[in-house]
Amino acid sequence: MSTPYRLWEIQKRSNDGPQCDEDDFLPKIFTPKLKQVVKKYGIQWDRKTVLPTDEDLADRVWLAGWELFRDVGLYNTDTHRMIRLSDAEIKEALYMHPGQYWVGAGKDAVLWKHRQIEDRNPPFCIFSPDCTCSEELHYSMCVAFLKEPLLDGFCAPILEDTMGMKIRSASPFEINGCTQHIYNLRLAAKQVGRPGVFFVAVGTAEHDTGQIAVSNNEWGVRTTDSRIIGTLTEFKTADTLLNRVVHCAQYGCYVGNLTGPIYGGWCGGAEGVAVTLVAYSLNGLCIYGAVYNQHFPFHLNWGSNTTRELLWPIAVAGQALGRNSRLLYTSNGFSNAGPMTEMVFYETACHALVSTVTSWDLWEMASARNKYRNRATPLEARLGMEVGHAVAQQGMTRQEANDIALKLLAKYEHMAANAPMGKEYQECYDVPTALPTQEHFDMYRRVKDELANMGVTFPY
Amino acid sequence: MSLERLCQALEEGAQEEAERIAKDLLNQKIDSKATVDRLVATMQKVGDRFARLEIFLPEMMMSGQTMASVMQILGPKISQSAGAAAALMKGKVVLGTVKGDLHEIGKNIVKLMLEATGFEVKDLGYDVDPLAFIKEAEALKADFIAASALMTTTMPHQKEIIDLLKDKGLRGKYKVVIGGAPTTQEWAEKIGADLYCYDAGSAPRLMAQLIAKPS
Repeated sequence: MSTPYRLWEIQKRSNDGPQCDEDDFLPKIFTPKLKQVVKKYGIQWDRKTVLPTDEDLADRVWLAGWELFRDVGLYNTDTHRMIRLSDAEIKEALYMHPGQYWVGAGKDAVLWKHRQIEDRNPPFCIFSPDCTCSEELHYSMCVAFLKEPLLDGFCAPILEDTMGMKIRSASPFEINGCTQHIYNLRLAAKQVGRPGVFFVAVGTAEHDTGQIAVSNNEWGVRTTDSRIIGTLTEFKTADTLLNRVVHCAQYGCYVGNLTGPIYGGWCGGAEGVAVTLVAYSLNGLCIYGAVYNQHFPFHLNWGSNTTRELLWPIAVAGQALGRNSRLLYTSNGFSNAGPMTEMVFYETACHALVSTVTSWDLWEMASARNKYRNRATPLEARLGMEVGHAVAQQGMTRQEANDIALKLLAKYEHMAANAPMGKEYQECYDVPTALPTQEHFDMYRRVKDELANMGVTFPY
Repeated sequence: MSLERLCQALEEGAQEEAERIAKDLLNQKIDSKATVDRLVATMQKVGDRFARLEIFLPEMMMSGQTMASVMQILGPKISQSAGAAAALMKGKVVLGTVKGDLHEIGKNIVKLMLEATGFEVKDLGYDVDPLAFIKEAEALKADFIAASALMTTTMPHQKEIIDLLKDKGLRGKYKVVIGGAPTTQEWAEKIGADLYCYDAGSAPRLMAQLIAKPS
């Protein structure tokens, strides 16, 4: 939404915003302010409830997140200055967000609209394995994901190698890997008959040069696609990230702001994560000109977000954003378990259920804590998206969703620390046809039937 | 009694109170070795509570800073005891996040845990050139080079450090420790690192074991 005027007004604050030493920013500015607003607004985590229905709590989390963002701002590690905005500027940016965007191209274009709490409209479904993958499996994985019927957008796995050589960030290998990444994606989309499908690309680019190298409406990342630009944990940015903001604004593609507040880190506990998620959403909108926010709060020790200390902030922040804004925001699942385990299916279902009912769109699923190469498949994401569609269309309430979430948590929460890492893609899928093995499909089907018995009304 | 109170202040991260008690202790006859052992054990306890997330990073950080400040006050007294000094010098570490990588929360937690349990740490920050790790290790006469990477595309820089050490004929001189979200034991073995730390909490124990092991 950033106009050129706003873009440069805000970029300029990297140069003349308030100065702060980097070592002081988190312990002396961010965390004390966060603690202050958590106390001021009386935000308290109730461990027994996954999805609270207290709308006053949601509104207080919104106010706390607003105050946190306004008073802390975003720290630029290159200039050692904080980019801060006024209340009026935040209000203006929120007013200017249209609440919906057409993304993708031609017949594959999709309208992405803001959702409300307990909204009957299905969530916007971005499939993403989030993991890295071997060069020889990248194309097959792209095809496998793009075959998914509920896919509204796709973020492909990250290439680890290009032409047999390890990709090193900010090097020529990264540019080559990015080119290979987008060519694989474009070919896969064409071959499955979805040439205009919405991409979030390219994840292989860690550095701005790789990202900029593949902006091309003929063969590369199009203006109908999106980039995600990260915010460094917590509330920091750098010129290499702001370079992407300027490039994307001038190129004209969609921008998502990628954030991962850490439970147990500078945010503290569940209350701090909830407030920080709201604050990050305002940061994405105002400083990155993001049309959507892509959030993956996670547990410091496990790197996952399917246990109750993360599901609660997801549920509360979703309600805060749903009630008080027209923003678009995806909830990115990180499971403990890996592919072809019953646990990953339970975790994905629970994450999708909690997120959908509390107004989020979905981004599933970083399996096996997003740590291992090739360790994610479309099938766990499929189940998550099917749960999202089902609970939206049946009009599931937060109370009903809470009851099911507690049943699902009882199945896996005790195994979070020692979750099974499952199998790699090529062990769960037939690589040439990009289809799941019978064993894998049967496991998915069993869990889906179990969910149906719990009260999830799947359309098919 | 004062030591009890000091340990409690340390656990609570009450820096001013801890400094006051430490200054009082300077004027008393204390068993330096026992004092250091108690302080390190207290920090280990704080670290264990953090590992279980009974406390969070800001609280751990406050305890770590309190410990640093207490040691600065007690340092001259403690250094007179060889046993106490040894307990405080488990090894020298050059630590950083590799080139091209701007993530440092994990690295910072490792730093806290190491310093709190008796390692001397030179923190090079993030986006650190492989050669800078080696130059700093040479200057510090370090025991360890510890390199963190949070992205798969920055992991190769961990290997570069080892390759450069080999090329310079310095490989045997330093224990190379790696960590970071996408790294694994398998990766550590593949690139020839001496140690893989799967999380920040495990780093002090694993590194102490490694340095104690006869080479």
